[in-house]
Amino acid sequence: METQIQLTCEEISGKSDARIVRFVGDLDATNVDLITEQIFNYFSDGLVKIVADFKQLRYVNSTGLGVLLHFNKTAREKGGCFKIVNLNEDVYEIIEIIGAASLLDIYDEMEDAVAALS
Amino acid sequence: MVMDKKSSLTMEISSDEGYAEVAVLRVCGALDFSGITMLSNVFEKLFGEARPYVIVDMAGIESICSAALGEFMGYRKRFVEQGGNLVFAGLAGNVRSKLTLLGANKIFSFYQDVRGAVNAYRWDYKKHSKSVSIAFPSFLQFVPPVRQFASRLAKQNGYSAKDAFRIETIVDEVCNNAVEHGEAGKGSEVEIKVSINKEKIALSVSNKSDPDKVAVLKELVKPAMPVSHVGDDDKRGRGLALIKMLSNELDVEITERGTSVHVTKLREE
Repeated sequence: METQIQLTCEEISGKSDARIVRFVGDLDATNVDLITEQIFNYFSDGLVKIVADFKQLRYVNSTGLGVLLHFNKTAREKGGCFKIVNLNEDVYEIIEIIGAASLLDIYDEMEDAVAALS
Repeated sequence: MVMDKKSSLTMEISSDEGYAEVAVLRVCGALDFSGITMLSNVFEKLFGEARPYVIVDMAGIESICSAALGEFMGYRKRFVEQGGNLVFAGLAGNVRSKLTLLGANKIFSFYQDVRGAVNAYRWDYKKHSKSVSIAFPSFLQFVPPVRQFASRLAKQNGYSAKDAFRIETIVDEVCNNAVEHGEAGKGSEVEIKVSINKEKIALSVSNKSDPDKVAVLKELVKPAMPVSHVGDDDKRGRGLALIKMLSNELDVEITERGTSVHVTKLREE
């Protein structure tokens, strides 16, 4: 049984290769495989520019952080990007402590992240 | 026991077993203006006996006047100055409502009963620790409820949401490592003991070692790479780095038989 997490996907006007993906729940070792499969399905469908909305992502651990770095790297290799927006303070602290803040593409505001897709 | 014959107000002092400095004052009857002198005499006696932590058992109080409350406030201040306190226990609904209306709940601590007040004394003054032990099957899906339990335990004991989140993360990482690097399969368990007091939380996580993974595990716990150098290709060591950064003490013992991880996290906020 995995920890509860849900992804919902939303189109971005005028950007056919991009999606806003909203994460809701906890990202941890019990559900990284599920999330990896879903994100890689987007990549396979040509949706290589992802804006990950973490407004309702309560928790992430080191395993979850590992897959975020993996998404970031894979998206770039495919000519896209994996941008993160609306991080809560606790999750940001974990990312910062591990030294990954400079490796990930993090934005405070959704509109800035979407604008940066161009 | 002292008694006011006109009002049939009684006051009786008893002790809590094991704590000579704690006095339990049981008050019964209507505490009105005429009882203030009796109250004052009792408190002066406690000062003389160097018993600065006073639990007033109010279960038998029928009513209380504002002047008596003022007397309690004055003595509370003096007890606090002596390193103690004056708290209320066992308040009946009507008395509790009146004291709350008068704003006493902002000054005094209210407890359900004397036992609750003594436990608070042990927690606040004796740095008493509460301990919980859990054993769970060595599978990843059992880790989230354990980490969430540790977080709730911290919050219930007055730790901030931020501290609770950090504790949740530490428990998660230590338990995940135990499952990942320990003996797997039917019957294998991870044991976690959580001890919490007012100042810190201590975790001990132990499990049986998998002989094939001991060497890898020993390599992992060598002085870790600087966390700032963690790259996006590094698959290992992030969890341990996180634990080190979030905790105040970390000790890992690895033998062929078992692995034990001891972590201490001080309360920060």
